[in-house]
Amino acid sequence: MIAWIRFIITAVLMIGALGCFVSAVAGVWRFGFVLNRVHAAGIGDSLGILLMMAALAVGNGLNMTSLKLLLLVVLLWLTSPVSSHLMSQIEYYTNPELYEHVTRDEPLHPAQTRNTEKNKKQGPSGRSHGARKRKRR
Amino acid sequence: MNAESAFHALYIGALVILAILMGIMVVRSVIGPRVTDRILSINMIGTMVVCSIAILTVLLDEGYLADVALIYVMISFVAVLILAITYIPEHPRRTEHYRLLEMKEDTPQDEEGGDEE
Repeated sequence: MIAWIRFIITAVLMIGALGCFVSAVAGVWRFGFVLNRVHAAGIGDSLGILLMMAALAVGNGLNMTSLKLLLLVVLLWLTSPVSSHLMSQIEYYTNPELYEHVTRDEPLHPAQTRNTEKNKKQGPSGRSHGARKRKRR
Repeated sequence: MNAESAFHALYIGALVILAILMGIMVVRSVIGPRVTDRILSINMIGTMVVCSIAILTVLLDEGYLADVALIYVMISFVAVLILAITYIPEHPRRTEHYRLLEMKEDTPQDEEGGDEE
């Protein structure tokens, strides 16, 4: 009886983990831009692995292997945000058509004010408006 | 049907579903338009492989496979790290960024002088 209760808990947690992975893969497959894909992949990296390792720890019982599996969750939670950050940084620095996908009202970055320099020379009035309008080259 | 065979069937089913998802991500990494899509797909494949190794740890009852999974997590993180520091530093967009930063520090005097003239 106790084995069946353990099986039911394991099955529920594992089905939740597989649902997380399926939704992450569907997001990575369907989204059109990399930063959206990074967002979708974060589901599987955080909640999916937590539910999966919890399911395996319940199914395995309380011993050293379960502790290692939970250590795996800690390690993946530490490394996965750093990986997402580095991937976003690669995209930011190497994509020449970034501002077709990303828009900001206030320019955060000097590379965004490239057209503003031209507009300032044409006339002092339409500066921010021109910067907003002609953000991409 | 006892609980042991039920656990076995559950783990095998989870492994099959993870294998299908890994195949989908391989296709995504092949057709990904940019390098970042490919890195992201390979990172997700790494996460799923870690899950598969953890399932195999419990299914085969071999404790050392958990250590293999730990090493796998670290190595997949180091792969992303090395790719990032390979792609980012000397890229033209970044050098242009620094050039524009220097130019922006110099511009105010030049602009005011140009307006006065």
